[in-house]
Amino acid sequence: MTSRGSIELMAPAGNFESLQAALDNGADSVYFGVEQLNMRARASINFTLDDLEEISRRSKEKNVRTYLTLNTIIYDHDLSIIKTLLDAAKKAGITAVIAMDQAVIAYARQIDMEVHISTQINITNIETVKFYAMFADTMVLSRELSLNQVKKIVEQIKKEEIKGPSGRLVEIEIFGHGALCMAVSGKCYLSLHSKNSSANRGACKQNCRKKYTVIEQETGFEIELDNEYMMSPKDLCTLDFLDQVADAGIKVLKIEGRGRAPEYVAKVIRSYREAIDAIDAGTFNQEKVAGWMEELKKVYNRGFWSGYYLGQKLGEWSDISGSAATQKKLYVGKGVHYFPKANVAQFKMEAFDINIGDQLLITGPSTGVKEFDLTEMMVNDKPSDSAKKGDEVTIKLDFRVRASDKLYKYVPA
Amino acid sequence: MVVITLQRKKCIGCNYCVEMAPGQFRMSKKDGKSVLLNSTDKKGFHTLKSAENHIFEDCVKAQEACPVKIISTKLV
Repeated sequence: MTSRGSIELMAPAGNFESLQAALDNGADSVYFGVEQLNMRARASINFTLDDLEEISRRSKEKNVRTYLTLNTIIYDHDLSIIKTLLDAAKKAGITAVIAMDQAVIAYARQIDMEVHISTQINITNIETVKFYAMFADTMVLSRELSLNQVKKIVEQIKKEEIKGPSGRLVEIEIFGHGALCMAVSGKCYLSLHSKNSSANRGACKQNCRKKYTVIEQETGFEIELDNEYMMSPKDLCTLDFLDQVADAGIKVLKIEGRGRAPEYVAKVIRSYREAIDAIDAGTFNQEKVAGWMEELKKVYNRGFWSGYYLGQKLGEWSDISGSAATQKKLYVGKGVHYFPKANVAQFKMEAFDINIGDQLLITGPSTGVKEFDLTEMMVNDKPSDSAKKGDEVTIKLDFRVRASDKLYKYVPA
Repeated sequence: MVVITLQRKKCIGCNYCVEMAPGQFRMSKKDGKSVLLNSTDKKGFHTLKSAENHIFEDCVKAQEACPVKIISTKLV
């Protein structure tokens, strides 16, 4: 185990920006998709085979474990690319593969690669855990279980000493934060049915996030609904009862969000890192929770609910089309050069103005996510309070800025 | 003439095009993505120009079925 605390914090990495943000903000492990066979196949940016070495290198430097998601439905024509992907992952030193299909599980075992069972398999009982223990060391339980049910499974693993191929007790992972969907463990047919676009091949068109009306066909009478987003659950958040989650004995807490922006990964991972550390130090309290919740609300969210963990009978539904985030970012300009001796970064202004007092954000594939308050700057070689499109701006910064970096400012949403 | 283009880099390997137009598409065993048979690759756009206009209908079906909209079909 490389986890810093009692719970391994697992972060999403949809691209190098997010990967770096996860590494810099206290993740114990990262998960990512390569090429098309993962649940975010539609995402415009997916890692390629050639990126595996770099992902592994950067993560190992920080002692962070790496998990390749290979958890879609698999067809015959995919069997060869699966082997190519797993061989490459093994060679690059990727820690484990997150799998659903037996073809993936079987080949990973054949090459002695650690297997984690994806939530797509929908494990809900101890006998299923026993079955998959023949192949896997870590299992994600169904998102629909209550914490009591999770706890019982964990206790039974210890009691019966259920061990994975590594010889260690099977570790249980649960979803901790992020988007939920109305389908059981994501096994949804809506997108395929309406747009030929299978959610189970990572190409979900998100029918559930849209508004719907209900019309009685005989009369055309439209039934009035409290909430027209009748299929869109709020986002899962376990931070305010993370002490109970820890008490259930889970080993890995997964943060959803490979399709989210890097600053989302940075903020969510930082908040959960602090929360896990507080639990381990015995200092977890509601006052701290309130502070972390404010941070979480700043980035993309559909409002929060506790999922099924606390045993509620009904889901809670979002009443908005997109995000309820309290702040958003505006593109300002791009990195030009960094003068390491003077610790000065130069930017080219390309869009929105910036002013002293603004909260700024820099993201980049190597830089990850860096946030800071703008206290002074030079504009076209003179000290100034504001800069506009076309200006050359230099700012004193104690971290390196690269030509691939983008500069944003935060504004209230 | 029929002109068909496949932007195969974005393919998610769902197999729909092969179902709709088996004469023109095949799944690659190498990378699990669709291949437009007898096409030429120009910067990731794989194009087939064919005088056999009867293939048009099936290719349109493939275009319409493609979940990531990477197939285009034209009669010229």
